[in-house]
Amino acid sequence: MLRWLARRIIAAALVVFVVTSLVFVVTHIFTDPATVSLPLEATEEHRAQRRAALGIDRPLSVQYWDFVSGLVVGDLGESFWQDQPASKLVLERLPATLKLVAGATVVTVLLAAPMGMLAAWWERRFADHAVLGFSMASISAPPFWIGYLLIIIFAVQLGWVPTFGSRGFISLILPSFAIGLASAGRLAQMTRRGIVEELRKPYAVTALSRGFSRSYTIVHHTFRNVASGFVTMTGWELTRMFTGYTVVIEVVFAWPGVGRLAIHAIENRDLILVQAAVVVLATLVVLTNLLVDIARRMIDPRVELA
Amino acid sequence: MTAVESALGPPGADAGGAEAAPPETVTVLADLRSHLRKSKAGISGIVICSLFALVAVIGPWLPFIKDPAAQSLPDKLTPPVGWGGTWAHPLGTDQLGRDILARLIDGARISLLVSVAAVIIAAVLGTALGLIAGYIGGRIDTLIISAADVQMAFPGVLAGLILVAAFGPSVWLVILVIAISSWMVFTRVGRGLVFTLKTSLFVEASELAGASSRRVMWRHLLPNLVSSLITLSVLELAAAILSESAFAFLGFGVQPPRSSWGLMIQQGRNYITDGWWIVTFAGLAISVVVLGVNLLSLWLQSFNDVAEREQIILERPGG
Repeated sequence: MLRWLARRIIAAALVVFVVTSLVFVVTHIFTDPATVSLPLEATEEHRAQRRAALGIDRPLSVQYWDFVSGLVVGDLGESFWQDQPASKLVLERLPATLKLVAGATVVTVLLAAPMGMLAAWWERRFADHAVLGFSMASISAPPFWIGYLLIIIFAVQLGWVPTFGSRGFISLILPSFAIGLASAGRLAQMTRRGIVEELRKPYAVTALSRGFSRSYTIVHHTFRNVASGFVTMTGWELTRMFTGYTVVIEVVFAWPGVGRLAIHAIENRDLILVQAAVVVLATLVVLTNLLVDIARRMIDPRVELA
Repeated sequence: MTAVESALGPPGADAGGAEAAPPETVTVLADLRSHLRKSKAGISGIVICSLFALVAVIGPWLPFIKDPAAQSLPDKLTPPVGWGGTWAHPLGTDQLGRDILARLIDGARISLLVSVAAVIIAAVLGTALGLIAGYIGGRIDTLIISAADVQMAFPGVLAGLILVAAFGPSVWLVILVIAISSWMVFTRVGRGLVFTLKTSLFVEASELAGASSRRVMWRHLLPNLVSSLITLSVLELAAAILSESAFAFLGFGVQPPRSSWGLMIQQGRNYITDGWWIVTFAGLAISVVVLGVNLLSLWLQSFNDVAEREQIILERPGG
């Protein structure tokens, strides 16, 4: 187990390294932060000054070494839009993003597990069709549009919750649903499919034929065997959230997270800050995948130690 | 075709699904048609997708459609028919008095162009890499599959953020970003299928007959991947349309005055109190088209998966 864990951690670190190096290639070889940050009419002299200020007039190898050694100590460069260390700006916004992802995960799991079980319980009956309908609708609608619909209905028409911003728990509800509905739709179908497959296995057939009710068998026998797949899928949904949903949903709800910071940084042509946000989000994705692997191992020891 | 190959029958004939000889193709098509007749999901999916493609292609030449860019400030924020509007603007107008219906039709073109182009690039590139990784194996396989793993950890939106920051927004960049966030799906699936096919008799026979690796991959392995890859492409198409709308919404894709569904939502979001129809109809257009593609993909999956054919939910009596 320990050796497996060590190997997984090294592999994850390698992926982070490769991803950040790719980011460096885009930001430093294909273009450069000075040209991007200055208006088109800037003179060559201005650009040279900006390059010197950013230290990108030095040889690429030196810059790359600086970039990598900076990463190790958490230095992601200086934002020239905000005149502050980029890592500080990103880390300030990180808790808001994590809060949003946590809220969305709660919505996802609380909707998906019961819906999947209900659909499997009443297989081929009304509840099953209803859950499938919900799933198809939720995965087909763009999350940012769901966000606006929720705002129109619950904030504008009914006035139950604030439209946007981050004012404590209540303002977390709508964005969590906007993100969580699609994830719940996918996860519910996967849970249903897993349970239906398990119910055809001999142990479940035995339990049913001994007189245990379908619901009891699902909750106490089959769901446990689906749990490992459930955790893996939830992990995938988490990575989707970190890299796609949070960015658009933070824009919709003016949520002060990393994704919205990245969008603002793009609008202000601050390549270094975008780079920092992307590096942090990509690291979160890799970390999530690592945690999912560990959790799977703990739930289901049969998972191979690959 | 070499002697041994022809003695063993048409290439790919023993794996089922994607037969190359004409008579079998006809049976597959007939199968497909009768299977489709029983599936409401498949029919609705095909109808929605065809309508979408048709509107996207002939949209500008439809007789009663207005100019999507024509502004008319006196008519701004006219509600749709049924909410106090008139048939002059069936779905109402936006903040500049432009006809919503005309803009939706115009936006369909961008959606179709971007998503189809991205999926084609991803499918061709991803399948080629998957074939090579699965068939050649060894170090090349390790390299390709590690690249796919890294790509998994570096999804589209992040790549999109960094590329847009570096090069500025453009439609071509969005196509590229969606393609690079989806190629590894084709690589992984293709590679997995090649692994199982590699030991089949027909592959070994053509190897023994002296066929080159390229010939084995192109003539024998690829035809057997086609049906799975088409199903996968449809699934990825749904994801691509959603990604395109998200990028357009963030302002990364097509720029005004051209319209796109995602961009309409971005521009309409300041009017959700006095012009709810802008955001609502644009989002509805995206959702319906993606739903159509998803239904189509659900049906294709059920058709490809024999065990599933019996069970698939939408095919059930009354479903």
